[in-house]
Amino acid sequence: MRRRDFLQRTAAGSGWLLTYNSLRKGQRLLAVEASPAAGLSRVEARYYDRLPDREIKCRLCPRFCQLGDKERGFCGVRENQNGKYYTLVYGQVASYNIDPIEKKPLFHFLPGTMAFSLATAGCNVACKFCQNWEISQMRPEQVQSRYLPPEVVAETAAHYNCPIVAYTYSEPVIFYEFMYDTSLQVRRKGLRNTVITNGFINPEPLAELIKVVEAIKIDLKAYNQDFYTNYVRGELKPVLESIKQIAHSKVWLEIVYLVIPTLNDDPKEIRQMAHWLKTEIGPDYPLHFSRFQPMYLIKNLPPTPLSTLERLRDIALEEGLHYVYLGNVPGHPGENTYCPNCGQLVIERYGYTIKKISLSGNKCRHCHQTIPGVWS
Amino acid sequence: MVIIKSRRALAANGQPEPPSMLRMFRKGLEVLTGSSQAEEALRLIFQPTENIGIKINTIGRRAISTYPETAVTLGLWLGKTFGCEDKIIIWDRTNEELKEAGYRLSRSEGSLRIMGTDSYGIGYGSQPVINRSVASLFSKIQAELVDSTISLALLKDHGIAGITGGMKNYFGAIHNPNKYHDSNCDPYLADLFEIDLIKKKHRLTILDALRVQYHRGPAYHPQWNERASQLIFGFDPVAVDVVGWKLIENLRAKKGLPSLSEEKREPTYLQTAENLGLGLARLNNIEIIEEEV
Repeated sequence: MRRRDFLQRTAAGSGWLLTYNSLRKGQRLLAVEASPAAGLSRVEARYYDRLPDREIKCRLCPRFCQLGDKERGFCGVRENQNGKYYTLVYGQVASYNIDPIEKKPLFHFLPGTMAFSLATAGCNVACKFCQNWEISQMRPEQVQSRYLPPEVVAETAAHYNCPIVAYTYSEPVIFYEFMYDTSLQVRRKGLRNTVITNGFINPEPLAELIKVVEAIKIDLKAYNQDFYTNYVRGELKPVLESIKQIAHSKVWLEIVYLVIPTLNDDPKEIRQMAHWLKTEIGPDYPLHFSRFQPMYLIKNLPPTPLSTLERLRDIALEEGLHYVYLGNVPGHPGENTYCPNCGQLVIERYGYTIKKISLSGNKCRHCHQTIPGVWS
Repeated sequence: MVIIKSRRALAANGQPEPPSMLRMFRKGLEVLTGSSQAEEALRLIFQPTENIGIKINTIGRRAISTYPETAVTLGLWLGKTFGCEDKIIIWDRTNEELKEAGYRLSRSEGSLRIMGTDSYGIGYGSQPVINRSVASLFSKIQAELVDSTISLALLKDHGIAGITGGMKNYFGAIHNPNKYHDSNCDPYLADLFEIDLIKKKHRLTILDALRVQYHRGPAYHPQWNERASQLIFGFDPVAVDVVGWKLIENLRAKKGLPSLSEEKREPTYLQTAENLGLGLARLNNIEIIEEEV
């Protein structure tokens, strides 16, 4: 598509051209045009079974929602309409932005590049500490959205020289069809796809997704089921299964663990988790310990003390993981990548900024140890 | 609890007859309050200065929603009694659902207001209201526009909750009911009702049991939809639903269907609600008066 055609096509909706032209790197934009209920998408969902009496059973995530006519799943964005299951958020983008890839965070995936990042409303869990609850815990008709079909997402990312598209902010699993189709368009442009997810997805759709994306970051919320029950309303086991499935594929994987004081910061559990990761997927996938800030339904706890983060990082390193990072602590040495062989600094970071890279291709410039990741 | 039956409730075409509806409302409230005059009964329940919300359920569109003939008849009567129609708001989640259920939207001054939470300038509050297992944004209609509410719900079987009636109707007052259907909606429905924005404003439940979807609800399936020609009135939100549940069980038994308990979807949220002091959940403890008009 020529740029002029693209602009003419996308400018059909009032306000879009202005928004498109005013989008700048680092700027977070909430689309300004309300999406009326009638404007919800109505694209048939994938991964569901039709049952008798116009009921359906969703097979996208481990909830397996079974729904009667006119009912929606836990995610709030997939609806049974007369025995057929539809996604209501295909192309209905509630938030988009150009972010550094380090913000996701993905530290071993094209460092220093920008990702065109987007989300729709909805989520298949309900974390009490959600940072993006104003879109993730909403139904699509309750947020302002803009229609950005897959080819427009790919075109926009290319236009802004973003080598990456990131499906993020809310929970991409719930806009699976849109993400999948967009990923194909993005690849056609020579760009790459990354998914920032809770990993609460069934093996079959994940296997298909893995074929069209290049990197996945999983938020592992805790290493015990009680936390998943009480603070996430999800399940740990399927998330661990997803981690294994991704690690055994060609897709790059990183794991983030948000450390919430007193709730999921037990050093024993962290040791068990690090041991499990090393045993099941090996020592080379990065693990990020992120600092919690009070928000949404958990405002009574303080930000994670730095000493806690440092202690947990030490434990994970002791267990043999090679790349353990700290997040939301700009300037801390735990943001940097060190060669596990010679101990030299190979990537120096400050917040989301790359200050120095000492890699030759994918090897440490000092000792030539291979540093796993996607570097070019 | 008061059950009012009427053989003339539904016309030959299956739709409610407004004059019959009005007779049923009048009788129901007279018996419920012990008043000889229905208007006096209304004045015992509502203050003349109050904005009164009638929360209806229109998710099933025209096939299986609170009938406009029922809700509008009630709304007009309330408006006439208190001398100001626009203090009465018939409402649900969305204008689209209301229209598809056969309602004509209205926000005009001087006339009955019929509107969805998604109406221009309404929407939901910006901060979640939290109680036990529930954290939700409330419709501004429930939170700000009305002083007191009637839950005028359609009685239906529900594949997850067991039954949907007057209490579950308030799922339509929050932004995220999809998050609260686990484990037969228990304890979520009870926890939601306990929130002051509902508990303190709720004055009356009227269960529309003119036709009852007794199996495979809440969707409409004509083969399991039975004419019951009754309205169930009560001040106790739990007890009214318990009486509705009993009606559904009776219909199921009559048709040779297993009980809700046998199908592992007994509405346990009703007992949870009793435990929270919201009402009575044991049928034996509930006094039921039946009348026919």
